[in-house]
Amino acid sequence: MTEISSPADARQERIYELFSGATQEASDAMSRWTGGEVTLSLNEVQEISLDEIFEQLDVCEDLLTMVVLSIDEEIGGELILTFDELNGRRLAATLAGREVDLESPWTPLEKSALCETGNILGCAYLNALAQAVGVDLIPSPPHFIQDYGASVLQQALLTQAMMTDEIMIARTGFARGDEQLDWSVYFIPTLAMRDALEQTLSSRNGQAKV
Amino acid sequence: MAVELTSRQKSKEKRSLIGMGQIGVESAPECLHSVLGSCVGLVLYHPRLKVAALAHIVLPESAGRSASPGKFADTALPHMIRLLGNRGVNRSGLKAKIAGGAEMFGKTGPLKIGAANIMAVTAGLKEAGIPLVASHVGGKKGRRVCFDCSTLQLTIEIIGQEKEVI
Repeated sequence: MTEISSPADARQERIYELFSGATQEASDAMSRWTGGEVTLSLNEVQEISLDEIFEQLDVCEDLLTMVVLSIDEEIGGELILTFDELNGRRLAATLAGREVDLESPWTPLEKSALCETGNILGCAYLNALAQAVGVDLIPSPPHFIQDYGASVLQQALLTQAMMTDEIMIARTGFARGDEQLDWSVYFIPTLAMRDALEQTLSSRNGQAKV
Repeated sequence: MAVELTSRQKSKEKRSLIGMGQIGVESAPECLHSVLGSCVGLVLYHPRLKVAALAHIVLPESAGRSASPGKFADTALPHMIRLLGNRGVNRSGLKAKIAGGAEMFGKTGPLKIGAANIMAVTAGLKEAGIPLVASHVGGKKGRRVCFDCSTLQLTIEIIGQEKEVI
């Protein structure tokens, strides 16, 4: 029996492809940055009801170490790189060429190493999206934060929440070889960015039909 | 409508967590929990009956949208009063506490949602004649909050700071 996917499925598939391209660029950049150790793969692009976001993304009350890049334009969004404390420390220590030290406060060098990681993969990710959508996406300098994941996500999705109860979020995971790491990248587009993504998909679909 | 939480959420956290735009209602000895950033947590409670509602307010104004009353300051308050009324709680004895309204990750610019949420909630309480007895708002950090319906205390946790009770 032939399986016919619905238009909604087809649209979802095209959105997924679009973000997969951006994730691949970020993965290549991350691989170069970590000497081939760490790669990225897109987990999901979801449209989640506002009141279910905490449980769907599983970030309820977790203390996370995060690097945030904001694109404060109408067509923009927030890119958030998240780690738990241990994994953030491990990456920072590796990049700084030091032993992992969980007892001392984060040093400026460790924070800088994580921010640079966010900058490198974030710029690769956003450049790919910018190219796909045909706009400039210029992020803010990376911002290092340690806070509740849910608190940071709230701020990031506000521009969408002003207009809709269904929030689009792309979530990307990390791997070292075959091992899945407990790190994530969230990209939360503004509503205008969502519209731009939809237009890109429509025009690609139109071209495909021609 | 009181929030129905999934078993997954309850089993993971072993407690009810009020999500964005949700309103929870509980009575002693239960607690109401939430995690706030720019959102404001509004607690309405009756000191003698020890029944409370917590709204996780996301934005200051509904602008006519009525789908999610807990999401907006102007719709959450009357909806909370109705929910408490359904539990036999008269609005005349109600008191309020609020927390949240931070501007996370140093957000600057004209869009100060945290501050706008605080203003909208306090103005709404004033208009409704409900005394605001304690608040813990603003700043740049997230808050984990817990309202204990028995003690009527709102506990605030901020990463890297001492726990506070208001």
